[in-house]
Amino acid sequence: MTQETYELYRYLNRSIPRLDSEQKVRGELKYLTDVYPEGMLHGYVLRSTVAHARILEISTEEAERAPGIRAVLTYKDIPGINGYGAIVPEIPVLAYERVRYYGEPLALIAADSMEQAKAAAEMIKVRLEPLPAVLDVDEAMAEKVKIHDKGNVARHTVVKRGDVSKAEAQAHLVLERTYRTPMQKHMFIEPEGGYAYVDGSGVVHVLAGGQSPYRDKLQISRVLGISPEMIRVKNYPTGGAFGGKDDATVQIHLALLAYRTRKPVRLAWTREESGIAGYHRTASKITIRTAVDREGRLLSNSAKIVLDSGAYQSFGPTILDVSIETINGPYRVPSYLIDAYLVYTNNGIASAFRGFGAPESNFAIESMMNELAAELGIDPVEIRLRNILRTGEEGPFGNVIRNSAGLEEALNRARSSGIWRRANGSGWIKEGVGVAVAIKGVGFGTLPDYPSAAVEVIPEGKVRVMFTNPDYGQGVITGIAQLAAERLQIPVSEIEVINADTMHSPDTGSSSASRTTLTAGSAVVQAIDEALSKLRVEAASSFGASSSEVQYSGGRFMYRDRSVTIYELARRLRQKGRSLRFEATFEVPRYPEPVEGTLEVPHMMYMYGVALVRAGVDALLGKVNVKEVEFYADIGNVINPSIASGQVEGGVVQGLGYATIEEYRYSDDGRPLNINFTTYVVPTARDSPEMYVEFVKSYDELGPYGAKGVGEIGIIPVGAALAEAVYRATGKRIRDLPITPWKLV
Amino acid sequence: MLAERGAAVRPISGGTDVMVMIKDGVLKEKELLDLSRLEELRYIKEDGELIRIGARTTYREVERSPVINAYAPILVEASKTIGSVQIQNLGTIAGNLGNASPAADSVPSLYVLEARVKLASVNSEREVGIGEFFLGPRKTVRRPDELITEVSFRKMEPGSHFFFKKLGLRSANAISIVSAAGILKLSNGKIDWLRLALGAVAPTVIRSPTAEERARGAELNEDSIRAIAEGASTDARPITDIRGTAEYRKKAVFGLVYEALYEIMSGSGKRVVFGLEGRG
Repeated sequence: MTQETYELYRYLNRSIPRLDSEQKVRGELKYLTDVYPEGMLHGYVLRSTVAHARILEISTEEAERAPGIRAVLTYKDIPGINGYGAIVPEIPVLAYERVRYYGEPLALIAADSMEQAKAAAEMIKVRLEPLPAVLDVDEAMAEKVKIHDKGNVARHTVVKRGDVSKAEAQAHLVLERTYRTPMQKHMFIEPEGGYAYVDGSGVVHVLAGGQSPYRDKLQISRVLGISPEMIRVKNYPTGGAFGGKDDATVQIHLALLAYRTRKPVRLAWTREESGIAGYHRTASKITIRTAVDREGRLLSNSAKIVLDSGAYQSFGPTILDVSIETINGPYRVPSYLIDAYLVYTNNGIASAFRGFGAPESNFAIESMMNELAAELGIDPVEIRLRNILRTGEEGPFGNVIRNSAGLEEALNRARSSGIWRRANGSGWIKEGVGVAVAIKGVGFGTLPDYPSAAVEVIPEGKVRVMFTNPDYGQGVITGIAQLAAERLQIPVSEIEVINADTMHSPDTGSSSASRTTLTAGSAVVQAIDEALSKLRVEAASSFGASSSEVQYSGGRFMYRDRSVTIYELARRLRQKGRSLRFEATFEVPRYPEPVEGTLEVPHMMYMYGVALVRAGVDALLGKVNVKEVEFYADIGNVINPSIASGQVEGGVVQGLGYATIEEYRYSDDGRPLNINFTTYVVPTARDSPEMYVEFVKSYDELGPYGAKGVGEIGIIPVGAALAEAVYRATGKRIRDLPITPWKLV
Repeated sequence: MLAERGAAVRPISGGTDVMVMIKDGVLKEKELLDLSRLEELRYIKEDGELIRIGARTTYREVERSPVINAYAPILVEASKTIGSVQIQNLGTIAGNLGNASPAADSVPSLYVLEARVKLASVNSEREVGIGEFFLGPRKTVRRPDELITEVSFRKMEPGSHFFFKKLGLRSANAISIVSAAGILKLSNGKIDWLRLALGAVAPTVIRSPTAEERARGAELNEDSIRAIAEGASTDARPITDIRGTAEYRKKAVFGLVYEALYEIMSGSGKRVVFGLEGRG
């Protein structure tokens, strides 16, 4: 596994079609919400229709007696802990004492029909004493109305290095700006949902769209008060997630209803329910003050980061960490002072969303870099080249840069691009081109991370690969199958993947933080090595040779003129009653300790990206028309260029939506306003610009075959690059996303 | 059925609005009257100087009709912007009228075509001008026992210029923030007349009397275009909603009308040429 073998791969660097695309194109693939188990009950959630209130009473007697009703559950019916949450289990599974957001679940119903379930919901007597809704982070920080007894700041931390005031005193220029980014909804193709049942041996099966089957399993076990071994979670296939299905959605409710009724239960949110109760991206307000010398070299960076966590934390603490890690960009920052707050409001629940914390902070630092470049009269690409960290240097959080050559090359590629400064506006259409760079850590930084995977050699001619990072459309299955094929030197068609099912796969962790290629890829490669070493011994013994004399190539072991396939060896092992399953655990490389004030900063592995955005602005209508986007990325070795490129393109379009039209909003009393595709608009294919994605040559020895990750890099720099394009077109600096038409006329 | 209990019955054809209302639980009527197999109401006819379109005609059929393309190309322009192709395949001309959204994309063009709407009941038939048909958002003069059966209008004058401009937040499947439809007759660089209708800026689609008055007899130049567009903006009485603020909508009306007239002035606008759509 060295860089020299780069050109010799048989199954990597190849754009093979996705393994499940034919099924998807034919419409044959069934999402878990497409399954209606025989004899199933219909699950329904009664939700709060106020944003903030004290619960005086929830009475279910009448509803329980209603026709067709099999269960009505409130917080009183939870056998275990009434709390979940990816980081802190503080989110009530069913509300008790207080309601903290519009849509918070109050009761669960299982009924023979949906109509009966809804009718029973009407019969539940709910008495609430309304409290003022706190929707603004500044208002929340004033602590006049407390959302939680402990106060409205969920997490506050200060991370610093050097003497910022000294640096500012010596600076040629110090700029301070405040940037804001909105809440964003995931709007995946399949709303949250699935089904559950209890089998004859009492195991609770939960089959629902998700991103983290083993965490789901753990969270369910705590709430049900039973051993995790009595729970199975399956997340494949899932119709899109983007982080919105990383924390639990329907899983715990499904488990509760199935456990109580002992019948199959289906629970699937409607689009509107997803709009109301589903997660969203944190809104951010970031004030950043940056000092530079005459040549534009960064001397210091101060930032006050405030993230709106909504009513509970979910991933909030780590989102705050990523925003801290991102605020210094990929730059040499000698001194910094980061004051970061995660704040409770009554705005739903903010949770994971592609790149979490990074697009938010990136908009601030990259807009700042563009403003500094303009103030100093330096080319925006040049100012970045003057500040990016080079290989061997130490980054702002003490991390040694092992491979940033990719970013420098990406910037140079961007500078020589045809569209850089090719603005052709005329009449009322003004054109501009903007640039921004992105950095994103792969995985969980300094947090311990031990992903496991398994392979099984099937004598009939397949190698089964098992891991749990769910494929919700990214193409994980295909990429990992290519890695497995490469390791085994057998065609991809001989690889069979079992994905995201705790019944079959060891715990590889979640699909999040762009970590799947690293975690599943590395663990699978290790499991294959484990298999091959056992099979090698078996082959050697059959050849009467020592295993060091046995060669392996293309699925067979060879010794002199004799050879045997892995499948034949597997058949022999099976006859001997030996296991054909080989498991391995990968230890994700990390720094031993987080930087003071953080939970997981820094990472060892980073992806980089440079976005060029060419946009036209209709000066009379204020409408932004993005014409072209070029994206140069360093994602390590590229397993499947077409899938990787698709991830970047999808991220870019999602970033353009975030930067131009998407903004999840609440009314003054905390009711979500845009909860479906009519009112929450996302870009369509017609809105997608011409796109060009290029991966600079890169190889990270920590990743499987030099690969890093890709999922999140595309979305991150888009907002700042577009804002710069708009500035160059119109002279207007937009510091709060989205750049809606009314901000430009 | 309508005669007996019309107030409780909602006619449905393409269902592109009604189905959404059912799903949202906001449909008042308890029963549906399915018109979707009434082939008699599906036609586009030339009748002397008039064009008659049956109520069940879909937008896709309007777009593809040689008659409409020749004599009312503005309606082709408008139909193409409605929702998406899927919506255009199902949505009908009468549906867009009956739904009475101020943001309906076919309606401004029907205003400047000065269309008439035919309403029929078991024992009567009447025609009303498009301007009188709408009473407000989701409100029309259609009585519960009546059905919209036809829309008719005069053929556009050969040589007349026209436009339909829609501003949505995205390029497809977008509800208009504002829209504008105009037909303009020019002779020797002077505007004989302009008919201008605006969508999504008032409780119903409206004509813009100020703009039309300013246009009459004016030279087509940047000054007059500005004055006309400002007139349109003055006549707009928009509200603030999730798609845009009132203030912005007034500015956008100016922008849309200015850009449309500028395109006509500079020869890049669309024109009815001997009954066939052409450029310049």
